[in-house]
Amino acid sequence: MSDATTKSASATSIENKADPIRGHARVVSNEEEGPGRRLRLAVPDWPGSIPGQFVMIGAGAEAGVPRRDPLLPRPMAIYRELGSSGVRASAEGEIELLYRVVGRGTQLLSEAREGESIKVVGPLGRGFPLDRPAVASVDESGSKAILVGGGTGIASLYELARALISRGRSVVVILGGRSAGDLMGQREFEALDVQLICTTEDGSDGVHGLVTTPLADGLTSGERGATVYAVGPTPMMKACAALAATNSVDCYVSLENPMACGFGVCLGCAAPRAEGGFFLVCRAGPVFLAREIDWEGLP
Amino acid sequence: MTEAIDESVNFAGIVLRNPVLTASGTFGYGTEFAPFLDLEKIGGFVAKSLTLEPRFGNPPPRIAETPAGMLNAISIENVGVRAFLEEKLPALPDGVVVIASAFGTEPSVYAELAARVSEHPRISGIEINASCPHVKAGGIEFGQDPKLLGELVREVRRATTRPLLVKLSPNVTHIADMARVCEAEGADGISLINAVQAMEVDVETRRPVLSNILGGLSGPAIRPIALRMVWQVAQAVEIPICGVGGIMNAEDAIKFMLCGATAVQVGTANYLDPSSAQRIAVGISEYARSHGFKRVADLTGALETPRE
Ligand SMILES: Cc1cc2nc3c(=O)[nH]c(=O)nc-3n(C[C@H](O)[C@H](O)[C@H](O)COP(=O)(O)OP(=O)(O)OC[C@H]3O[C@@H](n4cnc5c(N)ncnc54)[C@H](O)[C@@H]3O)c2cc1C
Ligand SMILES: Cc1cc2nc3c(=O)[nH]c(=O)nc-3n(C[C@H](O)[C@H](O)[C@H](O)COP(=O)(O)O)c2cc1C
Ligand code: FES
Repeated sequence: MSDATTKSASATSIENKADPIRGHARVVSNEEEGPGRRLRLAVPDWPGSIPGQFVMIGAGAEAGVPRRDPLLPRPMAIYRELGSSGVRASAEGEIELLYRVVGRGTQLLSEAREGESIKVVGPLGRGFPLDRPAVASVDESGSKAILVGGGTGIASLYELARALISRGRSVVVILGGRSAGDLMGQREFEALDVQLICTTEDGSDGVHGLVTTPLADGLTSGERGATVYAVGPTPMMKACAALAATNSVDCYVSLENPMACGFGVCLGCAAPRAEGGFFLVCRAGPVFLAREIDWEGLP
Repeated sequence: MTEAIDESVNFAGIVLRNPVLTASGTFGYGTEFAPFLDLEKIGGFVAKSLTLEPRFGNPPPRIAETPAGMLNAISIENVGVRAFLEEKLPALPDGVVVIASAFGTEPSVYAELAARVSEHPRISGIEINASCPHVKAGGIEFGQDPKLLGELVREVRRATTRPLLVKLSPNVTHIADMARVCEAEGADGISLINAVQAMEVDVETRRPVLSNILGGLSGPAIRPIALRMVWQVAQAVEIPICGVGGIMNAEDAIKFMLCGATAVQVGTANYLDPSSAQRIAVGISEYARSHGFKRVADLTGALETPRE
């Protein structure tokens, strides 16, 4: 190997992505959404993103003086691309993030008010592969894509669903949570041309149980050429990957390793490869084919 | 009417357009930063420490955040010297000053690395990493023992005529002694500090947060330690110093220069804001101008200390 950590996650990853920007985004809104929050940002010179890419966002708003504690920016998936705001210069793009408050950084983020400024670097990482490489003779259009989201993993799937629909794929979205109040972004998914299945562990909404139940049903329903895209807590992604493997179907996952930089220079976000060595999740991923990852080696 | 100010500094025989370099291990191989800053508007950069062969680092978790800082235990994951020279260097614009960082377990390995990178015309200098705080063998062993450090510098000095810097570890009792050894063995300059050996624990899992248990602390948390050490070394040696540790903005960098640093390296700040180094260079220059200095170089050692 000469540079194994920087190798692409798979031959199907998209190459024609825009250079990331660094800048200060303006908070358009930051509101409660189920168990978490929805943050809408206007980002100057935003080049647009590919489904599955993420931003590094400052741990809260900053007025002039850069924040020293907590020090590091936080990685967050780009939930929705809302295009240019129209009011400002057209180069300003609006994006939405969905997040949960799990610690100090996301707590500070939740306190950011409309009009305040937050540091953003992005879009980063490789997104989901949307088109098959030329070598595959299978015609994928019309074949089924099953998107499985757990917790804030849902945030990586909305733009993916839209992109797959526009490519003629038939899309099933399975969103899972502990109880009815846990599901985020439900109303946007409901508005899409997808088959939406919600699961709750306590049965308070939708299918009673885990996301793997409808996934197993979907995979054994006999259609060929399905692809699974699973994003959520590691045990969920692992279980989805195992089901996909049993059914000889590709499964893409998006890993959430802690990150310091998000663009491949700190080498902190390593995930073990099935073949030995490591991937840098921020650069080779965060999207990977599940079988490329050594799941036992993930912390 | 603002008068033009001379921003350039001569650091250990390397002419830098301004005193702001970026620190090894925080700036990749340079090209990663092309979207964020103009590589030809910073003084230069120290590339990720190299080993003779490509090397994978530690298993995750490799990083963790701590109060006003971060811990890392990457363990010198790098592409190896050959790929660095053949693939990474040619990808950089011509005007970029590149300093190579060498890491090994034996003085002879450091010497071989120094000899190989010295042949390349794009390399402006070599920094010996004698201070990586978490690799089991090599690095810090040299940085903590004056005798071993002396032997290391002597052997590398024989292998290259290019500007030779030694990056010191803060994990010692008398930093000035280590600097004196380097000067005596012919080093052209000293960079300090590398990360401070540290650890952190998760009480819920009752485990260390890093797979390696120990890591290196960097960021604002270590800046006053670094500043103190730069000041002490500046009193002890004649060769120039590059100040490293927790520099987030121009004000931080200026403090290092006032304490005796000729140049500075920006590290962890590159993660928070990848354009940091360029902003800092501009800020230093503005400070020098507004405080009546004709040259940025005149900031070096301009600290006023109380009389005895
Ligand atoms: C590519 C990527 C995309 C992400 N997208 C989203 C998103 O869309 N929405 C969202 O809410 N979060 C997302 N995350 C996770 C998010 O970055 C973390 O939740 C956040 O950094 C926590 O910061 P904090 O300061 O609040 O918590 P900290 O104080 O840093 O940690 C608090 C607790 O959260 C846990 N934690 C920290 N980081 C993570 C992580 N990466 N995954 C799981 N647990 C973690 C810690 O172990 C600790 O127990 C993403 C992560 C990555 C790498
Ligand atoms: C993730 C990470 C990796 C590093 N890798 C190296 C390295 O390969 N070689 C080296 O000499 N120093 C390395 N360092 C140390 C930095 O160059 C610098 O000395 C240290 O971080 C203190 O400066 P800072 O507080 O500005 O980051 C690394 C630091 C970090 C945070
Ligand atoms: S987060 Fe820094 S290399 Fe991936």
